[in-house]
Amino acid sequence: MWRSSASFILDKHLNNKPISITHSIDSPPPPSDSMADENPNPNPISAYYETRAAHHGIVTSEWLEQAQAAVRRYPDHDCSVSPVSGRPFSVIEEFNSWRQQPDLAEAVAAIRAFAAVIRASEATTMMELEIELKKASDTLKAWDTTSISLTAGCDLFMRYVTRTSALEFEDFNSAKSRVLGRAEKFGVISCKARRIIAILSQDFMFDGCTILVHGFSRVVFEILKTSAQNKKLFRVLCTEGRPDKTGVLLAKELAKLDIPVKLLIDSAVAYSMDEVDMVFVGADGVVESGGIINMMGTYQIALVAHSMNKPVYVAAESYKFARLYPLDQKDLEPALRPNDFNVPVPPKVEVERSARDYTPPQYLTLLFTDLGVLTPSVVSDELIQLYL
Amino acid sequence: MPDVQSMVAEFVNKLRKRKIEGSQATAKCTVELLRSVISHQRVPHANQAAALIDAVKAVGQQLVAANPVELAVGNVVRRVLHIIREEDLSLTTAAMAGLDLLDASDDDDIDNCKGIGYPAMSAAVVAAAARSTLRPPSLQTLLEGTPESATVPYTSSSGADSESKTADKSSLTRKLKHDVIEGVNQLIHEISGCHEQIAEQAIEHIHQNEVILTLGSSRTVLEFLCAAKEKKRSFRVFVAEGAPRYQGHLLAKELVARGLQTTVITDSAVFAMISRVNMVIIGAHAVMANGGVIGPVGVNMAALAAKKHAVPFVVLAGSHKLCPLYPHNPEVLLNELRSPSELLDFGEFSDCLDFGAGSGSLQVVNPTFDYVPPNLVSLFITDTGGHNPSYMYRLIADYYSADDLVM
Repeated sequence: MWRSSASFILDKHLNNKPISITHSIDSPPPPSDSMADENPNPNPISAYYETRAAHHGIVTSEWLEQAQAAVRRYPDHDCSVSPVSGRPFSVIEEFNSWRQQPDLAEAVAAIRAFAAVIRASEATTMMELEIELKKASDTLKAWDTTSISLTAGCDLFMRYVTRTSALEFEDFNSAKSRVLGRAEKFGVISCKARRIIAILSQDFMFDGCTILVHGFSRVVFEILKTSAQNKKLFRVLCTEGRPDKTGVLLAKELAKLDIPVKLLIDSAVAYSMDEVDMVFVGADGVVESGGIINMMGTYQIALVAHSMNKPVYVAAESYKFARLYPLDQKDLEPALRPNDFNVPVPPKVEVERSARDYTPPQYLTLLFTDLGVLTPSVVSDELIQLYL
Repeated sequence: MPDVQSMVAEFVNKLRKRKIEGSQATAKCTVELLRSVISHQRVPHANQAAALIDAVKAVGQQLVAANPVELAVGNVVRRVLHIIREEDLSLTTAAMAGLDLLDASDDDDIDNCKGIGYPAMSAAVVAAAARSTLRPPSLQTLLEGTPESATVPYTSSSGADSESKTADKSSLTRKLKHDVIEGVNQLIHEISGCHEQIAEQAIEHIHQNEVILTLGSSRTVLEFLCAAKEKKRSFRVFVAEGAPRYQGHLLAKELVARGLQTTVITDSAVFAMISRVNMVIIGAHAVMANGGVIGPVGVNMAALAAKKHAVPFVVLAGSHKLCPLYPHNPEVLLNELRSPSELLDFGEFSDCLDFGAGSGSLQVVNPTFDYVPPNLVSLFITDTGGHNPSYMYRLIADYYSADDLVM
C-alpha cells in the first residue's frame, strides 16, 4: 500500500533530487547532530524552526553567529536593486535582523524588511516600486521555502500594493509614503492582533478550567497571561514539545506568572485528556481548508481531543492565512529539524525529522483571530475575498 | 420624548416579567418600539446617523438586560443598527457623488477642499472606504488601517457653505430618518412573514410516505408540515410530547385537525422510535454564530439519537433568530430555569423539597432550553433558503455590522 501512495512517490522524488547547494542552504549542520551527514537525504534544515529554537535559547550563541556569518557569505542573489548607490542592500539581511527579535512574528519581520526596501528604493513610478518589491518578496520566499507565515505575509503585502497602486488620486510620492506608512504600521498591527485575540478568548475560559497547550506559541502565551491578569482561576497542562523542549520553557514562563502548570511528556496527552476542558494551540499557518499547520504533535492532540469531545481552539493572527491546500501530511514543503535522541542511532535507521504536521479542519472547533472568532469554514471565504 | 421613555419602561417591564411569549412576538414588539424611538428622536444636522445609533443602542441595552435569554431582542436591535449604518452609507455615497459633480464645475470649491488639507477624492474611493467600516474586519482591510476618512469628507462638505448645499443638507436629514424607518418597516414585514417563507420550502424536503419526528410545539414546524400537506404529500408525524410543558399534545391536536396522521410519544421513547423515522424537524429558539442551536429542552437528545441512526436533523429558524454571538457556555448562560411546580406538586413534596432553610434536600432543575452543537445539525431552513451550519457566519455577516456585536 505504501508503495503506491502519494507519500512514497514524493519520498522517492526527494531522494533522487541532487543535493542542491543553492543560496537557501545557509546554516551549517548543528554540532550536536552527528547523524545528519550520514543520513542519505540531507535536505536543508528549516531556517524557520532554527530561528524559533534560537528564540528559545536552545541553540548556543556560537552556532547562531556561524549561521549569521553563513548568511552574509551569499549576498549575490539579494544584491542591491539600485546599483547606483554604493552599499549593497540585502533584503535578507534586513529580514534576519528583524527576525532575531524574539517577540516579532515572521510575517511582521518580512514586512519591516519590505519597508526598508521601499526606503532604500530609487524608483520613480509605482510600477518600478512594485517590481522591486516583487523581487524582494521572491527572494525572501526562496530563502526559506518552509516558513508559511513568511510566504503569507509577503503575499499579503504584495497584494495590498498591487491592489492600491492604481488609485487615481495620488501622485507617486504620496503613494510611496502611504505604502511605507502601512508597512511600518504593520508591526503595531501585529502586537495589537495578539491583544485582540487575547481579549476575544477571555470569554471562553471559565473559572476552574483546565487547558492543554502544545508548544510555545506567543499568541497562546499572551492569552494565558491576559487571563491571569484578569484574575481567572485555571490551570495549564503543557506538553514537553520534543525535540525543541519548548514546553519546558513555557512551563517556566507560566510558573513565573503564578499559573499552576503541569508538564506532560508528549505521549501522556491521551492519558490526561479526561481532565482537560479545552485545548489551545497556536499555528504556524492557517490553510485554505481551515486546517492549521503547527508544530509536530498538534494533529495527534486534536485527534485525541476530538474523540473525547473536547474543544480545540486555535489562536492565530490573520496574516498567517496562506493559500495552501494540503491533502495529506506529506503535501507540505518538508521542514526538517534535527532530532536528538540522547543515544547514538545506527546509520541504517531512518529518522522522521519533520518539524510540523497538518491538522484538518474537522478536528478544530474555533479559530481566534484578530478578525474575530471564526469557524474553520470562514478561512477560505476570507482568502477568496482577498485574492480573487 | 417622555412618551417614548414610558413606552420603553413598559416594554422593559413586560420583558422582565416574561409576559411576551415566543421570539417572533418579542422581535416584532421590539422593532416597533425602536421605530417609535427613531421617529421621535431629534437629530442634529451633522453626524445624524451617530445620534440615531446612540439612541437605539441605549434603548437596546436596557431591553437586552431585561431578558438576556431572549436572544431575538438583541438580534433585532443589531439589525436596526445595521439598517441605520447602511442607509447612512448609501446616502453619503449619493451625496458625495452629487457634490463631486458640483466641485468639478466650480473652481473655488476645489480650492476650498484642498485648502482643508484633504485631497479631492472620487466618490468611489470614499464609498469603498466607508463600506469597509460596515463589513467585519477582513484580510483586505487589514493593511488599510482605520477608515476614519469616511467621515472626514462628509464634515468637510458640510463645512463648505453654499446655498444649494445647505438646502441639500436639510433634505438629507429628513431623508436619512425616512430611509431608516422604511428599512425598519421592511424588517417588521420580514419578521411577520417568516413562517410563510419557510413553509414555502416544505415541498422540497418532505417526500411521499415519509415519517417525520418533531419535539414540543413550534408554529414554524406546524406551518411547514401543513404546507406540505396542502401540496398533497401524504406523510406521518411523530410528536414527542416535550415534558414538562407537554406542548407536543397541543401540536398533535393541531396536526390532526389539519388532517395529518399523528402519533404522540414520550421524550424517552425518541431513541426507540428514531430508527423508523426519515427526518427530524424542529423549531429553534435561537441559532448561534457557530451554527449551534438553542431549542426547547430535549432537542439535544433527539439530535444525538438522529446522529446515531444517520437521520437528517433539520432546524427551522426565521432570520430574527440568528444571533451573531458565539456560545461559550450555552447550557448555563443562555438557559433559564423555570418553576419546579411544573415537575412536582408542592403539596405532596413539601416535606422533602429543599427550600433553602432546613429539613428537605430535594432539588429540582427545570431548564427551558437545550444546546445542540453544530456538528449534529444537517440543515438549517431560514426564510432565505436552506443552509449548512458552517454557512451561518455568512448570513450573520450580511445582517449585522461588526461594531454592534458588543452593545
